[in-house]
Amino acid sequence: MSRNAEAALLGGAAVLAALGVSIVRAAGGNSPDAQTALTFLVVALAFGALHLGFRQWAPNASPYLLPLSALITAVGLVEIFRLDPRAASLQRWWLLIAACLGLATLAVIGRSGTDMLLRYRYLFLSAAVLAFLLPLLPTQWPLGGVEVNGSRLWLQLRLFDTTLVRFQPGELAKLLLVAFLASYLASRHTALTAMTRRVGPLTIPEPRQLFPLAAAWAVSLVVLVYQRDLGASLLLLAVFAAMLYAATGRAAYPVVGGGLFLAGAVIAARTFDHVQRRFDAWLRPWDDLADTGYQIGQSLFAMGSGSLTGSGLGLGRPDFIPSATTDFVFAAVAEETGLAGSLAVVAAYALLLAVGFGIALRARDPYRKLLATGLTAVMAIQAILIIGGVVRLLPLTGIALPFMSYGGSSLVANVIAIVVLARISHEVAT
Amino acid sequence: MNGPIRRLAFVLLAMLGLIVIDLTYVQVIAGPRYRDDLRNPRLAASRSSTERGPIVTREGVVVAESTADPDAPQTFSRSYPEGPLYAHAVGYTSLLFGNAALESEYARDLSSDRDLTISGIIDALLGREQGAQGIRLTLSHSVQQAAREALDGQTGAVVAIEPSTGEVLGLYSSPSFDPAELLGESPAGGDALTEDPSLPLLNRAIDQILAPGSAFKVVTAAAALETGAANPDTLYPDPLELALPGSTSVIRNADRGPCADGVEVALATAFRRSCNTVFGQIGMDVGPEAIGATADAFGFNAEIPFDLPVASSVFPAASLIGDPPATAQSAIGQRDVQATPLQMAMVAASIANDGVLMRPYLVSEWFDRDLNILSQAGPVELRRAVSPGTAAVLADLMEDAVANGTGRAAQIPGVVVGGKTGTAQVPGRAPHAWFVGFAASEERSIAVAVVVENGGAAGEGATGGSVAAPMARAVMQAWLAGA
Repeated sequence: MSRNAEAALLGGAAVLAALGVSIVRAAGGNSPDAQTALTFLVVALAFGALHLGFRQWAPNASPYLLPLSALITAVGLVEIFRLDPRAASLQRWWLLIAACLGLATLAVIGRSGTDMLLRYRYLFLSAAVLAFLLPLLPTQWPLGGVEVNGSRLWLQLRLFDTTLVRFQPGELAKLLLVAFLASYLASRHTALTAMTRRVGPLTIPEPRQLFPLAAAWAVSLVVLVYQRDLGASLLLLAVFAAMLYAATGRAAYPVVGGGLFLAGAVIAARTFDHVQRRFDAWLRPWDDLADTGYQIGQSLFAMGSGSLTGSGLGLGRPDFIPSATTDFVFAAVAEETGLAGSLAVVAAYALLLAVGFGIALRARDPYRKLLATGLTAVMAIQAILIIGGVVRLLPLTGIALPFMSYGGSSLVANVIAIVVLARISHEVAT
Repeated sequence: MNGPIRRLAFVLLAMLGLIVIDLTYVQVIAGPRYRDDLRNPRLAASRSSTERGPIVTREGVVVAESTADPDAPQTFSRSYPEGPLYAHAVGYTSLLFGNAALESEYARDLSSDRDLTISGIIDALLGREQGAQGIRLTLSHSVQQAAREALDGQTGAVVAIEPSTGEVLGLYSSPSFDPAELLGESPAGGDALTEDPSLPLLNRAIDQILAPGSAFKVVTAAAALETGAANPDTLYPDPLELALPGSTSVIRNADRGPCADGVEVALATAFRRSCNTVFGQIGMDVGPEAIGATADAFGFNAEIPFDLPVASSVFPAASLIGDPPATAQSAIGQRDVQATPLQMAMVAASIANDGVLMRPYLVSEWFDRDLNILSQAGPVELRRAVSPGTAAVLADLMEDAVANGTGRAAQIPGVVVGGKTGTAQVPGRAPHAWFVGFAASEERSIAVAVVVENGGAAGEGATGGSVAAPMARAVMQAWLAGA
């Protein structure tokens, strides 16, 4: 597949988004208006710019990355527009910003190659830790943290009593941590693989080599406790475990990491009411539908009402689902497009996952392999956690669905991840 | 490190596979269960976002209407301004308890939310009205009010029919209920109605069959006249009690005396005085097949074509063959004979209509938003129940019963009223009081059936003549006065 085919598919995604917006308008008895044109233009402009950036700085990159992310973004934009046109217009701005930042990233790594990221390993680590801690700044400061729905994840810029912009630095911190871990593990993976110490029946590496694992576990628990963000801590731990496993090939890391997290989660469930309620809602949603089971119950009602072919865009009642534009956007899509649409979305994520890991497999050195693995895992695990939560396969964790949920921070982070993946795949081919 | 990466990819893909399985379960296998779950707010939304046309009486009194929510013009709420008065005829459309009565039977016409059926598509292509239709009832507001006042909370029912057209002028069952109780989001009100031992949700006018007692003598007399076995002057023995062959039981009159002089008595006199001894004898003389054939002609033992489902009234002719004691008791409306008030009103209506039974109907007109009439229902002749001669004789007998006999309480000054009382014995409880009859002024005519279960307020001492006949008079007067 060529770059030209990629351009054609991106045009298709823009048409799909515009068509979706028109259908939503038609379902409400309205004819297409500026929203249709704006949606088409913004999707075409953002992904068109990224496409041109690819031609310039990563001409041999995988041509599947952009069309898949554009497809998911288009579906998300349509559903967000259907639920909240005002949010959709903000999301369009964020898409343009994300494309700009993605282009900038591509331009930087495109000139000097992905290797340059190796140089800033510890800068990334400090930046990540800082980013996780930023929301803890006092709210009244011009740059301060905000608590939304019980989780302190937001950073807002306020000048003269007006909130200019809100951002979740944690979304970017995930990428920074992946970048740090990739370079750290790439240089230490032989040491971590060598089991030199014997503790009873277990052989373990040098304790100092285990420090990053312990640090990762600590960070995820800090996030869980101080920011009350079950989803982010679960995601971080899963990504660490996945990258450690990829680096060492030792299943002990994910098993021990998972065990530690489970232990932490059980303790947290006993200690923190909000975690306990998540588990109650997962295991017994119908017992207390009015309260703890409300979100998941509404999600299941919505998806069940959608059935095989859905209510049709604009014709369902996804407005009954709480947080329908963010955490539960998948349930809203599933109601209005039915199993046909929801499986298509899952298939798009599966393809993106396959493409990402394919890039990792073909990458030319351990660092690039681990970076590609980490970036793909971040997106894939996020999608699995939130879709799994929405369909009640997993406990519900408030986390954004990559490219689809309303929210600028997540969109920016995911576009940057795609851009880095593209550059890695370009460097394989050259 | 490609091995671990590949395995990692497979693990994550497998999890997406699990999601696909779970998603298929949630959306398709368990989907209908979630969709129809009473707690799914989409149910309420889908009903309330559907406008339903109004239902009005023949005078135009609104008995059901949808009003748009002022804050959300696309959502509607259904209300029943007359409350319990039309509850059994009109029914309700409730989120928790579904649709009932006309709201259910005519849901498709009333609702603006049509299915895409072939006829719906054809209508759309032809530019025919697709919106919510209103329906006009044959029911008369004044007759309904009179029925409610007459029954006054006692358990029973009133059915009134225009004899020449079959229009149902009154259909009231008591105790009634307020449909508003069933409309809320809490099931408490409806559950209370469902569990109420007085069965307020039961439509006693059409859903329940009771022994008609002596009111059934109209049918027995009709059979005797139709077969030529008797005329009004035919004389019958007048015993103190009628011995039933092959049985130790006897039939007595209500006052335990003879019908007339204790020697012999004419059919007309026996009808006027409602003598059980004589009609038991007539029943045995005419035989169950003939009475059964006449009962069938009036509508017994078959489904009555009506806008609402009606319980079939019963005269079990086949099981009475060769059983004279049972035949005698059935001839006076006891034992296995059971009828709905609607059926008994149809008997009276066909006699008032020269023997022709009209199809009873409740809905006369469908109209659109601008009150243009879209379609109409008219009189339909079901069949000739009895010959014009028999009908005339029966009418005379019934008029005599009101003028000089058991039905005197139904008299209306200046109006010819005919009728037959019934006091159906109920083992261990007070009798059911019945009156079936008709009245006609120069402009208007009406046939009614009234039943008061277990004597109503009068209790053990209740008779059809004392309890039901005055109610019938009030209902008939309400219609005749409206001209």
